[in-house]
Amino acid sequence: MNSAPNILRFRDVTVRYGRQPALQDVTLDIPCGSLTAVLGPNGAGKSTFLRACLGWLPLTRGEIRIGDAHPQHALPRLAYLPQRHAVDWDFPITVRGVVEQGRYPALRLWQRFSDRDRALVDRALAELGLTDLADRQISQLSGGQQQRIFLARALAQGADIFLLDEPFTGLDLLAVEELTRIFRSWEARGRTVLAAVHDLDIARRAFGRAVLLATSVVAEGPIESVLTEANIDLAFRRGKGARDDPLRMARTAEFPE
Amino acid sequence: MSFHDLIVDPFSFGFMQRGLFSALLLSLSGGLLGSILVLRRLALMGDALSHSLLPGIAVAWLLFGTNTLALFVGALVAGLLTALGSALVSRLTRIKEDAAFGSLFTIFFAAGVALLSRLPARVNLEHFLFGSVLGVSASGLRLAAFSSAVTLVVFVVGRRSILLETFDPVFLRATGGRGPIVHAGLLALTVLNLVAAMQTMGVVLALGLFLLPAVTAYLWCDHFALLLVFAVALAAACSFAGIVLSYHSGVASGASIVLCLGIVFIASALFSPRHGAAARLVEFIRERHSVHRSAD
Repeated sequence: MNSAPNILRFRDVTVRYGRQPALQDVTLDIPCGSLTAVLGPNGAGKSTFLRACLGWLPLTRGEIRIGDAHPQHALPRLAYLPQRHAVDWDFPITVRGVVEQGRYPALRLWQRFSDRDRALVDRALAELGLTDLADRQISQLSGGQQQRIFLARALAQGADIFLLDEPFTGLDLLAVEELTRIFRSWEARGRTVLAAVHDLDIARRAFGRAVLLATSVVAEGPIESVLTEANIDLAFRRGKGARDDPLRMARTAEFPE
Repeated sequence: MSFHDLIVDPFSFGFMQRGLFSALLLSLSGGLLGSILVLRRLALMGDALSHSLLPGIAVAWLLFGTNTLALFVGALVAGLLTALGSALVSRLTRIKEDAAFGSLFTIFFAAGVALLSRLPARVNLEHFLFGSVLGVSASGLRLAAFSSAVTLVVFVVGRRSILLETFDPVFLRATGGRGPIVHAGLLALTVLNLVAAMQTMGVVLALGLFLLPAVTAYLWCDHFALLLVFAVALAAACSFAGIVLSYHSGVASGASIVLCLGIVFIASALFSPRHGAAARLVEFIRERHSVHRSAD
Protein backbone atom coordinates (compact mmCIF):
# COMPACT_ATOMS: atom_id res chain seq x y z
CA MET A 1 0.00 0.00 0.00
CA ASN A 2 2.62 2.53 1.05
CA SER A 3 4.77 2.17 -2.01
CA ALA A 4 7.09 4.98 -3.00
CA PRO A 5 4.80 6.95 -5.36
CA ASN A 6 2.29 7.34 -2.56
CA ILE A 7 4.25 9.29 -0.05
CA LEU A 8 4.28 12.99 0.69
CA ARG A 9 7.89 13.70 1.52
CA PHE A 10 9.19 16.80 3.26
CA ARG A 11 12.94 17.23 3.40
CA ASP A 12 14.45 20.13 5.36
CA VAL A 13 11.58 22.41 4.38
CA THR A 14 11.97 25.99 5.55
CA VAL A 15 9.60 28.79 4.60
CA ARG A 16 10.17 32.40 5.60
CA TYR A 17 7.82 35.36 5.38
CA GLY A 18 10.32 38.19 5.21
CA ARG A 19 12.87 37.26 7.87
CA GLN A 20 10.31 35.51 10.09
CA PRO A 21 10.44 31.73 9.68
CA ALA A 22 6.96 30.21 9.32
CA LEU A 23 8.24 26.64 8.94
CA GLN A 24 11.67 25.55 10.08
CA ASP A 25 13.54 22.42 8.97
CA VAL A 26 10.50 20.22 8.49
CA THR A 27 11.50 16.68 7.57
CA LEU A 28 8.80 14.02 7.58
CA ASP A 29 6.92 11.46 5.49
CA ILE A 30 3.17 11.26 5.26
CA PRO A 31 2.05 7.86 4.02
CA CYS A 32 -0.81 8.12 1.60
CA GLY A 33 -4.05 6.49 2.62
CA SER A 34 -3.82 8.00 6.07
CA LEU A 35 -5.71 10.65 7.99
CA THR A 36 -3.29 13.20 9.31
CA ALA A 37 -4.18 16.15 11.53
CA VAL A 38 -1.87 19.16 11.37
CA LEU A 39 -1.92 20.57 14.88
CA GLY A 40 -0.36 23.47 16.70
CA PRO A 41 -1.08 26.86 18.23
CA ASN A 42 -2.01 29.93 16.16
CA GLY A 43 0.90 30.97 14.02
CA ALA A 44 2.56 27.57 14.28
CA GLY A 45 2.63 27.22 10.51
CA LYS A 46 -0.43 24.97 9.96
CA SER A 47 -1.72 26.92 6.97
CA THR A 48 1.80 27.47 5.65
CA PHE A 49 2.31 23.70 5.81
CA LEU A 50 -0.79 23.08 3.64
CA ARG A 51 0.07 25.87 1.20
CA ALA A 52 3.58 24.55 0.84
CA CYS A 53 2.12 21.16 -0.16
CA LEU A 54 0.27 22.94 -2.97
CA GLY A 55 3.47 24.51 -4.19
CA TRP A 56 2.21 28.05 -3.56
CA LEU A 57 5.10 29.23 -1.45
CA PRO A 58 8.69 29.57 -2.49
CA LEU A 59 10.64 27.29 -0.17
CA THR A 60 13.61 29.05 1.39
CA ARG A 61 15.27 25.68 1.69
CA GLY A 62 14.43 22.02 1.24
CA GLU A 63 12.10 20.07 -0.97
CA ILE A 64 8.59 18.68 -1.04
CA ARG A 65 7.74 15.72 -3.24
CA ILE A 66 4.55 13.84 -3.86
CA GLY A 67 5.70 10.42 -4.90
CA ASP A 68 8.37 11.32 -7.44
CA ALA A 69 6.75 14.54 -8.58
CA HIS A 70 6.97 18.13 -7.48
CA PRO A 71 3.64 19.51 -6.25
CA GLN A 72 3.12 21.57 -9.43
CA HIS A 73 3.04 18.38 -11.50
CA ALA A 74 0.68 16.64 -9.11
CA LEU A 75 -2.00 19.35 -8.99
CA PRO A 76 -4.86 17.14 -10.24
CA ARG A 77 -4.19 14.76 -7.36
CA LEU A 78 -4.36 17.58 -4.82
CA ALA A 79 -7.57 19.17 -3.64
CA TYR A 80 -7.55 22.20 -1.36
CA LEU A 81 -10.73 22.96 0.57
CA PRO A 82 -11.35 26.53 1.71
CA GLN A 83 -12.56 27.47 5.17
CA ARG A 84 -16.34 27.60 5.29
CA HIS A 85 -16.53 31.30 6.15
CA ALA A 86 -14.48 32.13 3.06
CA VAL A 87 -17.39 31.16 0.79
CA ASP A 88 -20.09 33.59 -0.39
CA TRP A 89 -23.15 31.42 0.34
CA ASP A 90 -25.49 33.90 -1.39
CA PHE A 91 -23.74 33.26 -4.70
CA PRO A 92 -26.26 32.30 -7.39
CA ILE A 93 -25.10 28.73 -7.84
CA THR A 94 -26.56 25.31 -7.09
CA VAL A 95 -24.92 22.38 -5.33
CA ARG A 96 -24.42 20.67 -8.67
CA GLY A 97 -22.90 23.86 -10.06
CA VAL A 98 -20.19 23.85 -7.39
CA VAL A 99 -19.43 20.15 -7.80
CA GLU A 100 -19.14 20.62 -11.58
CA GLN A 101 -16.33 23.12 -10.91
CA GLY A 102 -14.24 20.12 -9.95
CA ARG A 103 -14.16 19.14 -13.62
CA TYR A 104 -13.15 22.61 -14.89
CA PRO A 105 -9.38 22.23 -14.48
CA ALA A 106 -9.43 19.13 -16.68
CA LEU A 107 -11.33 20.85 -19.50
CA ARG A 108 -9.74 22.85 -22.28
CA LEU A 109 -11.13 26.31 -22.99
CA TRP A 110 -13.29 25.20 -25.90
CA GLN A 111 -14.24 21.79 -24.50
CA ARG A 112 -17.76 21.14 -23.32
CA PHE A 113 -18.91 18.88 -20.50
CA SER A 114 -18.71 15.27 -21.65
CA ASP A 115 -20.80 12.32 -20.47
CA ARG A 116 -17.80 11.18 -18.46
CA ASP A 117 -17.60 14.55 -16.69
CA ARG A 118 -21.30 14.35 -15.88
CA ALA A 119 -20.90 10.80 -14.59
CA LEU A 120 -18.03 11.85 -12.30
CA VAL A 121 -20.11 14.71 -10.93
CA ASP A 122 -23.09 12.40 -10.34
CA ARG A 123 -20.91 9.84 -8.60
CA ALA A 124 -19.35 12.48 -6.33
CA LEU A 125 -22.80 13.84 -5.44
CA ALA A 126 -24.06 10.32 -4.71
CA GLU A 127 -21.07 9.36 -2.58
CA LEU A 128 -21.62 12.33 -0.29
CA GLY A 129 -25.40 11.94 -0.18
CA LEU A 130 -26.10 15.19 -2.03
CA THR A 131 -28.01 13.80 -5.01
CA ASP A 132 -31.40 14.94 -3.69
CA LEU A 133 -30.06 18.39 -2.84
CA ALA A 134 -28.20 18.90 -6.12
CA ASP A 135 -30.53 21.55 -7.54
CA ARG A 136 -30.72 23.69 -4.41
CA GLN A 137 -28.98 27.02 -4.10
CA ILE A 138 -26.03 26.52 -1.74
CA SER A 139 -27.30 28.71 1.13
CA GLN A 140 -30.30 26.39 1.57
CA LEU A 141 -28.16 23.64 3.11
CA SER A 142 -27.01 23.00 6.66
CA GLY A 143 -23.42 23.56 7.76
CA GLY A 144 -22.47 19.90 7.45
CA GLN A 145 -24.09 19.58 4.05
CA GLN A 146 -22.28 22.73 2.87
CA GLN A 147 -18.98 21.19 3.91
CA ARG A 148 -19.87 18.08 1.91
CA ILE A 149 -20.44 20.14 -1.27
CA PHE A 150 -16.76 21.02 -1.32
CA LEU A 151 -15.68 17.48 -0.50
CA ALA A 152 -17.78 16.34 -3.48
CA ARG A 153 -16.11 18.95 -5.71
CA ALA A 154 -12.73 17.59 -4.67
CA LEU A 155 -13.85 14.05 -5.54
CA ALA A 156 -15.17 15.16 -8.92
CA GLN A 157 -11.77 16.70 -9.54
CA GLY A 158 -10.32 13.20 -9.27
CA ALA A 159 -8.13 14.08 -6.31
CA ASP A 160 -6.80 11.52 -3.86
CA ILE A 161 -4.92 13.88 -1.56
CA PHE A 162 -7.15 16.29 0.30
CA LEU A 163 -5.79 19.38 2.04
CA LEU A 164 -8.33 20.96 4.36
CA ASP A 165 -8.03 24.18 6.33
CA GLU A 166 -10.00 23.89 9.60
CA PRO A 167 -12.79 21.68 8.22
CA PHE A 168 -14.47 21.26 11.63
CA THR A 169 -14.79 24.95 12.51
CA GLY A 170 -18.38 26.00 13.04
CA LEU A 171 -19.89 22.52 12.66
CA ASP A 172 -22.29 21.12 15.26
CA LEU A 173 -21.70 17.79 16.96
CA LEU A 174 -23.70 15.76 14.48
CA ALA A 175 -21.92 17.29 11.50
CA VAL A 176 -18.53 16.67 13.12
CA GLU A 177 -19.40 12.98 13.54
CA GLU A 178 -20.61 12.77 9.95
CA LEU A 179 -17.44 14.37 8.60
CA THR A 180 -15.36 11.99 10.73
CA ARG A 181 -17.26 9.05 9.23
CA ILE A 182 -16.60 10.34 5.71
CA PHE A 183 -12.87 10.67 6.43
CA ARG A 184 -12.76 7.12 7.84
CA SER A 185 -14.40 5.71 4.71
CA TRP A 186 -11.93 7.63 2.56
CA GLU A 187 -9.05 6.20 4.53
CA ALA A 188 -10.41 2.71 3.80
CA ARG A 189 -10.30 3.57 0.09
CA GLY A 190 -6.69 4.66 0.24
CA ARG A 191 -7.36 8.40 0.08
CA THR A 192 -5.17 10.81 1.98
CA VAL A 193 -6.54 13.57 4.20
CA LEU A 194 -4.33 16.28 5.59
CA ALA A 195 -6.23 18.77 7.72
CA ALA A 196 -5.29 21.74 9.84
CA VAL A 197 -7.24 21.30 13.07
CA HIS A 198 -7.17 23.48 16.18
CA ASP A 199 -9.40 21.32 18.43
CA LEU A 200 -7.24 18.56 19.90
CA ASP A 201 -10.20 16.48 21.10
CA ILE A 202 -11.75 16.36 17.64
CA ALA A 203 -8.35 15.52 16.20
CA ARG A 204 -8.00 12.59 18.62
CA ARG A 205 -11.35 11.18 17.60
CA ALA A 206 -11.12 11.71 13.84
CA PHE A 207 -7.48 11.19 12.85
CA GLY A 208 -5.03 8.34 13.03
CA ARG A 209 -1.87 10.37 12.60
CA ALA A 210 -0.76 13.84 13.55
CA VAL A 211 1.91 16.41 12.89
CA LEU A 212 2.38 18.77 15.82
CA LEU A 213 3.92 22.03 14.70
CA ALA A 214 5.41 25.00 16.46
CA THR A 215 7.24 26.46 13.45
CA SER A 216 9.38 23.32 13.52
CA VAL A 217 8.04 19.81 14.05
CA VAL A 218 7.47 19.05 17.73
CA ALA A 219 6.29 15.50 17.08
CA GLU A 220 4.76 13.40 14.32
CA GLY A 221 3.40 9.89 13.95
CA PRO A 222 0.40 8.02 15.37
CA ILE A 223 -1.78 10.60 17.06
CA GLU A 224 -1.72 9.06 20.56
CA SER A 225 2.06 9.15 20.63
CA VAL A 226 2.07 12.73 19.35
CA LEU A 227 -0.47 14.19 21.72
CA THR A 228 1.30 13.50 24.98
CA GLU A 229 1.13 16.10 27.71
CA ALA A 230 4.80 16.89 27.32
CA ASN A 231 4.49 17.49 23.57
CA ILE A 232 1.36 19.62 23.93
CA ASP A 233 3.11 21.62 26.57
CA LEU A 234 6.10 22.10 24.35
CA ALA A 235 4.05 23.16 21.32
CA PHE A 236 1.41 25.31 22.95
CA ARG A 237 3.29 26.83 25.86
CA ARG A 238 6.78 26.77 24.45
CA GLY A 239 7.65 24.46 27.40
CA LYS A 240 7.38 27.27 29.91
CA GLY A 241 3.67 27.50 30.41
CA ALA A 242 1.27 27.08 33.26
CA ARG A 243 2.91 23.90 34.56
CA ASP A 244 6.18 25.61 35.44
CA ASP A 245 4.56 28.67 36.88
CA PRO A 246 2.16 27.82 39.71
CA LEU A 247 1.31 31.47 40.26
CA ARG A 248 0.17 31.94 36.68
CA MET A 249 -1.81 28.74 36.83
CA ALA A 250 -3.59 30.02 39.91
CA ARG A 251 -4.38 33.26 38.15
CA THR A 252 -5.91 31.59 35.13
CA ALA A 253 -7.58 28.61 36.74
CA GLU A 254 -9.51 30.38 39.48
CA PHE A 255 -12.47 32.58 38.75
CA PRO A 256 -13.85 35.05 41.27
CA GLU A 257 -17.13 33.95 42.84
CA MET B 1 -50.52 58.46 -30.38
CA SER B 2 -50.44 55.20 -32.33
CA PHE B 3 -48.05 52.33 -31.83
CA HIS B 4 -46.33 53.39 -35.02
CA ASP B 5 -45.74 56.92 -33.77
CA LEU B 6 -44.53 55.64 -30.44
CA ILE B 7 -42.12 52.88 -31.39
CA VAL B 8 -41.34 52.89 -35.10
CA ASP B 9 -41.22 56.57 -35.99
CA PRO B 10 -38.27 57.51 -33.79
CA PHE B 11 -36.03 55.04 -35.54
CA SER B 12 -36.57 56.49 -39.00
CA PHE B 13 -33.70 58.81 -38.08
CA GLY B 14 -30.16 57.57 -38.60
CA PHE B 15 -28.88 58.98 -35.32
CA MET B 16 -31.67 57.21 -33.43
CA GLN B 17 -30.74 53.91 -35.03
CA ARG B 18 -27.11 54.44 -34.11
CA GLY B 19 -28.08 55.31 -30.55
CA LEU B 20 -30.28 52.24 -30.25
CA PHE B 21 -27.67 49.86 -31.70
CA SER B 22 -25.01 51.33 -29.49
CA ALA B 23 -27.17 50.97 -26.38
CA LEU B 24 -28.13 47.37 -27.24
CA LEU B 25 -24.50 46.39 -27.85
CA LEU B 26 -23.50 47.94 -24.54
CA SER B 27 -26.38 46.17 -22.81
CA LEU B 28 -24.82 42.87 -23.82
CA SER B 29 -21.35 43.62 -22.46
CA GLY B 30 -22.65 45.76 -19.59
CA GLY B 31 -25.02 43.06 -18.36
CA LEU B 32 -22.26 40.45 -18.38
CA LEU B 33 -19.60 42.63 -16.78
CA GLY B 34 -21.98 44.21 -14.29
CA SER B 35 -23.03 40.79 -13.00
CA ILE B 36 -19.43 39.87 -12.33
CA LEU B 37 -18.69 43.24 -10.68
CA VAL B 38 -21.69 42.80 -8.37
CA LEU B 39 -20.79 39.21 -7.47
CA ARG B 40 -17.16 40.21 -6.84
CA ARG B 41 -18.32 43.16 -4.69
CA LEU B 42 -16.55 45.57 -7.00
CA ALA B 43 -19.60 47.71 -7.77
CA LEU B 44 -18.11 50.86 -6.26
CA MET B 45 -14.81 50.22 -8.01
CA GLY B 46 -16.67 50.54 -11.30
CA ASP B 47 -17.87 53.94 -10.10
CA ALA B 48 -14.31 54.93 -9.29
CA LEU B 49 -13.14 53.86 -12.74
CA SER B 50 -15.87 55.81 -14.51
CA HIS B 51 -14.87 59.03 -12.73
CA SER B 52 -11.21 58.50 -13.48
CA LEU B 53 -11.85 58.72 -17.24
CA LEU B 54 -12.34 62.48 -16.99
CA PRO B 55 -8.73 63.73 -17.10
CA GLY B 56 -8.06 61.53 -20.11
CA ILE B 57 -10.94 63.15 -21.95
CA ALA B 58 -9.80 66.62 -20.92
CA VAL B 59 -6.19 66.10 -21.97
CA ALA B 60 -7.25 64.64 -25.31
CA TRP B 61 -9.53 67.62 -25.82
CA LEU B 62 -6.73 70.08 -25.08
CA LEU B 63 -4.35 68.32 -27.45
CA PHE B 64 -6.60 67.21 -30.31
CA GLY B 65 -9.85 69.14 -29.99
CA THR B 66 -13.02 67.43 -31.07
CA ASN B 67 -11.35 64.33 -32.49
CA THR B 68 -13.58 61.52 -31.15
CA LEU B 69 -10.93 58.85 -31.46
CA ALA B 70 -8.51 60.91 -29.37
CA LEU B 71 -11.16 61.34 -26.68
CA PHE B 72 -11.73 57.58 -26.55
CA VAL B 73 -8.04 56.80 -26.36
CA GLY B 74 -7.51 59.46 -23.68
CA ALA B 75 -10.31 58.06 -21.54
CA LEU B 76 -9.06 54.51 -22.04
CA VAL B 77 -5.54 55.42 -20.97
CA ALA B 78 -6.77 57.30 -17.88
CA GLY B 79 -9.00 54.38 -16.83
CA LEU B 80 -6.31 51.77 -17.33
CA LEU B 81 -3.79 53.93 -15.44
CA THR B 82 -6.16 54.14 -12.47
CA ALA B 83 -6.74 50.38 -12.46
CA LEU B 84 -3.05 49.60 -12.86
CA GLY B 85 -1.99 52.25 -10.33
CA SER B 86 -4.41 50.93 -7.71
CA ALA B 87 -3.23 47.38 -8.26
CA LEU B 88 0.37 48.51 -7.81
CA VAL B 89 -0.34 50.63 -4.73
CA SER B 90 -2.23 47.76 -3.06
CA ARG B 91 0.55 45.25 -3.87
CA LEU B 92 3.51 47.46 -2.98
CA THR B 93 2.22 49.27 0.09
CA ARG B 94 0.09 48.44 3.08
CA ILE B 95 -2.99 50.06 1.52
CA LYS B 96 -5.84 47.73 0.52
CA GLU B 97 -7.23 47.73 -3.00
CA ASP B 98 -10.53 49.51 -2.28
CA ALA B 99 -8.75 52.38 -0.51
CA ALA B 100 -6.18 52.56 -3.31
CA PHE B 101 -8.98 52.90 -5.87
CA GLY B 102 -10.76 55.50 -3.76
CA SER B 103 -7.61 57.59 -3.47
CA LEU B 104 -6.46 57.38 -7.05
CA PHE B 105 -9.82 58.05 -8.66
CA THR B 106 -10.37 61.24 -6.64
CA ILE B 107 -6.93 62.47 -7.71
CA PHE B 108 -7.73 61.67 -11.33
CA PHE B 109 -11.17 63.22 -11.08
CA ALA B 110 -9.74 66.36 -9.51
CA ALA B 111 -7.18 66.57 -12.31
CA GLY B 112 -10.03 66.21 -14.80
CA VAL B 113 -12.07 68.97 -13.18
CA ALA B 114 -9.01 71.23 -13.04
CA LEU B 115 -8.28 70.67 -16.73
CA LEU B 116 -11.92 71.13 -17.74
CA SER B 117 -12.12 74.48 -15.97
CA ARG B 118 -9.28 75.63 -18.22
CA LEU B 119 -11.13 74.67 -21.38
CA PRO B 120 -12.53 77.54 -23.45
CA ALA B 121 -15.80 75.85 -24.48
CA ARG B 122 -17.55 73.00 -22.74
CA VAL B 123 -20.70 72.57 -24.77
CA ASN B 124 -19.71 69.45 -26.68
CA LEU B 125 -18.13 67.78 -23.67
CA GLU B 126 -21.54 67.63 -22.04
CA HIS B 127 -22.35 64.76 -24.35
CA PHE B 128 -19.53 62.82 -22.78
CA LEU B 129 -20.49 63.71 -19.26
CA PHE B 130 -24.22 63.11 -19.46
CA GLY B 131 -24.72 61.18 -22.65
CA SER B 132 -26.88 61.81 -25.66
CA VAL B 133 -28.28 59.58 -28.36
CA LEU B 134 -27.78 62.47 -30.74
CA GLY B 135 -24.09 62.33 -29.97
CA VAL B 136 -23.38 58.75 -31.05
CA SER B 137 -21.08 59.04 -34.01
CA ALA B 138 -20.24 56.30 -36.49
CA SER B 139 -16.92 55.75 -34.74
CA GLY B 140 -18.72 55.61 -31.40
CA LEU B 141 -20.96 52.86 -32.73
CA ARG B 142 -17.93 50.99 -34.04
CA LEU B 143 -16.28 51.21 -30.62
CA ALA B 144 -19.43 49.91 -28.94
CA ALA B 145 -19.52 46.98 -31.38
CA PHE B 146 -15.85 46.29 -30.78
CA SER B 147 -16.00 46.37 -26.97
CA SER B 148 -19.19 44.33 -26.95
CA ALA B 149 -17.69 41.68 -29.22
CA VAL B 150 -14.46 41.50 -27.22
CA THR B 151 -16.42 41.14 -23.98
CA LEU B 152 -18.63 38.41 -25.42
CA VAL B 153 -15.65 36.44 -26.73
CA VAL B 154 -13.81 36.73 -23.39
CA PHE B 155 -16.89 35.55 -21.52
CA VAL B 156 -17.50 32.61 -23.84
CA VAL B 157 -13.88 31.46 -23.85
CA GLY B 158 -13.09 32.25 -20.22
CA ARG B 159 -16.47 31.48 -18.67
CA ARG B 160 -15.14 28.80 -16.33
CA SER B 161 -12.14 30.79 -15.15
CA ILE B 162 -14.35 33.83 -14.61
CA LEU B 163 -16.83 31.80 -12.56
CA LEU B 164 -14.05 30.21 -10.47
CA GLU B 165 -12.20 33.50 -9.91
CA THR B 166 -15.48 35.06 -8.79
CA PHE B 167 -16.81 32.21 -6.63
CA ASP B 168 -13.64 30.65 -5.23
CA PRO B 169 -10.32 32.23 -6.29
CA VAL B 170 -8.40 29.94 -3.95
CA PHE B 171 -9.70 26.88 -5.81
CA LEU B 172 -8.73 28.42 -9.14
CA ARG B 173 -5.22 28.96 -7.84
CA ALA B 174 -5.00 25.51 -6.26
CA THR B 175 -5.85 23.89 -9.58
CA GLY B 176 -3.27 25.81 -11.55
CA GLY B 177 -5.40 28.73 -12.77
CA ARG B 178 -4.20 32.31 -13.06
CA GLY B 179 -6.52 34.44 -10.97
CA PRO B 180 -4.64 37.76 -11.26
CA ILE B 181 -4.84 37.59 -15.06
CA VAL B 182 -8.60 37.02 -14.91
CA HIS B 183 -8.95 39.93 -12.46
CA ALA B 184 -6.84 42.27 -14.58
CA GLY B 185 -8.72 41.21 -17.73
CA LEU B 186 -12.08 41.99 -16.13
CA LEU B 187 -10.85 45.43 -15.01
CA ALA B 188 -9.54 46.20 -18.51
CA LEU B 189 -12.86 45.11 -20.04
CA THR B 190 -14.72 47.34 -17.57
CA VAL B 191 -12.66 50.36 -18.59
CA LEU B 192 -13.11 49.57 -22.31
CA ASN B 193 -16.88 49.30 -21.96
CA LEU B 194 -17.15 52.42 -19.81
CA VAL B 195 -15.32 54.32 -22.53
CA ALA B 196 -17.54 52.84 -25.21
CA ALA B 197 -20.63 53.80 -23.19
CA MET B 198 -19.52 57.42 -22.81
CA GLN B 199 -21.40 58.82 -25.80
CA THR B 200 -24.73 57.13 -25.21
CA MET B 201 -24.77 57.06 -21.44
CA GLY B 202 -22.26 59.65 -20.27
CA VAL B 203 -19.20 58.94 -18.13
CA VAL B 204 -21.07 58.88 -14.83
CA LEU B 205 -24.31 57.16 -15.84
CA ALA B 206 -22.65 54.42 -17.91
CA LEU B 207 -22.16 52.41 -14.75
CA GLY B 208 -25.94 52.34 -14.23
CA LEU B 209 -26.33 50.30 -17.39
CA PHE B 210 -23.79 47.83 -16.00
CA LEU B 211 -24.82 47.55 -12.35
CA LEU B 212 -28.59 48.02 -12.22
CA PRO B 213 -29.46 45.05 -14.48
CA ALA B 214 -27.05 42.90 -12.48
CA VAL B 215 -28.36 43.77 -9.02
CA THR B 216 -31.94 43.35 -10.28
CA ALA B 217 -31.09 39.94 -11.71
CA TYR B 218 -29.38 39.08 -8.42
CA LEU B 219 -32.74 39.57 -6.70
CA TRP B 220 -34.40 37.01 -8.99
CA CYS B 221 -31.88 34.35 -10.06
CA ASP B 222 -30.23 31.48 -8.20
CA HIS B 223 -28.27 30.20 -11.23
CA PHE B 224 -25.12 31.84 -12.51
CA ALA B 225 -25.90 31.46 -16.22
CA LEU B 226 -29.50 32.55 -15.70
CA LEU B 227 -28.28 35.64 -13.84
CA LEU B 228 -26.11 36.68 -16.80
CA VAL B 229 -28.89 36.12 -19.36
CA PHE B 230 -31.46 37.92 -17.19
CA ALA B 231 -29.13 40.91 -16.70
CA VAL B 232 -28.40 41.23 -20.43
CA ALA B 233 -32.07 40.92 -21.40
CA LEU B 234 -33.12 43.49 -18.81
CA ALA B 235 -30.39 45.92 -19.88
CA ALA B 236 -31.47 45.59 -23.53
CA ALA B 237 -35.19 46.02 -22.76
CA CYS B 238 -34.61 49.09 -20.61
CA SER B 239 -32.20 50.57 -23.16
CA PHE B 240 -34.92 50.35 -25.79
CA ALA B 241 -37.59 51.76 -23.48
CA GLY B 242 -35.24 54.49 -22.27
CA ILE B 243 -34.31 55.61 -25.78
CA VAL B 244 -37.95 55.74 -26.90
CA LEU B 245 -38.75 57.71 -23.75
CA SER B 246 -35.82 60.00 -24.36
CA TYR B 247 -37.01 60.69 -27.93
CA HIS B 248 -40.54 61.62 -26.91
CA SER B 249 -39.73 63.53 -23.74
CA GLY B 250 -36.45 65.17 -24.66
CA VAL B 251 -34.75 63.79 -21.52
CA ALA B 252 -31.06 62.90 -21.89
CA SER B 253 -30.82 59.31 -23.10
CA GLY B 254 -28.43 58.08 -20.42
CA ALA B 255 -30.66 59.39 -17.68
CA SER B 256 -33.85 57.93 -19.15
CA ILE B 257 -32.25 54.47 -19.61
CA VAL B 258 -30.93 54.47 -16.05
CA LEU B 259 -34.30 55.66 -14.72
CA CYS B 260 -36.10 52.81 -16.51
CA LEU B 261 -33.63 50.36 -14.99
CA GLY B 262 -34.06 52.06 -11.63
CA ILE B 263 -37.84 51.55 -11.62
CA VAL B 264 -37.45 47.81 -12.32
CA PHE B 265 -34.74 47.58 -9.65
CA ILE B 266 -36.77 49.30 -6.95
CA ALA B 267 -39.83 47.21 -7.75
CA SER B 268 -37.69 44.05 -7.57
CA ALA B 269 -36.02 45.07 -4.33
CA LEU B 270 -39.45 45.51 -2.79
CA PHE B 271 -41.40 42.64 -4.31
CA SER B 272 -39.02 39.91 -5.49
CA PRO B 273 -40.70 36.74 -4.13
CA ARG B 274 -37.69 35.29 -2.34
CA HIS B 275 -35.01 37.94 -1.89
CA GLY B 276 -37.13 41.12 -1.84
CA ALA B 277 -37.86 43.30 1.19
CA ALA B 278 -41.59 42.51 1.35
CA ALA B 279 -41.08 38.74 1.25
CA ARG B 280 -38.44 38.91 3.97
CA LEU B 281 -40.61 41.16 6.11
CA VAL B 282 -43.58 38.77 5.81
CA GLU B 283 -41.32 35.88 6.76
CA PHE B 284 -39.98 37.79 9.74
CA ILE B 285 -43.47 38.69 10.99
CA ARG B 286 -44.71 35.14 10.49
CA GLU B 287 -41.76 33.78 12.44
CA ARG B 288 -42.31 36.18 15.31
CA HIS B 289 -45.97 35.34 15.31
CA SER B 290 -45.25 31.63 15.56
CA VAL B 291 -42.77 32.25 18.37
CA HIS B 292 -45.44 34.18 20.29
CA ARG B 293 -47.93 31.37 19.67
CA SER B 294 -45.59 28.69 20.92
CA ALA B 295 -44.74 30.85 23.93
CA ASP B 296 -48.40 31.00 24.96
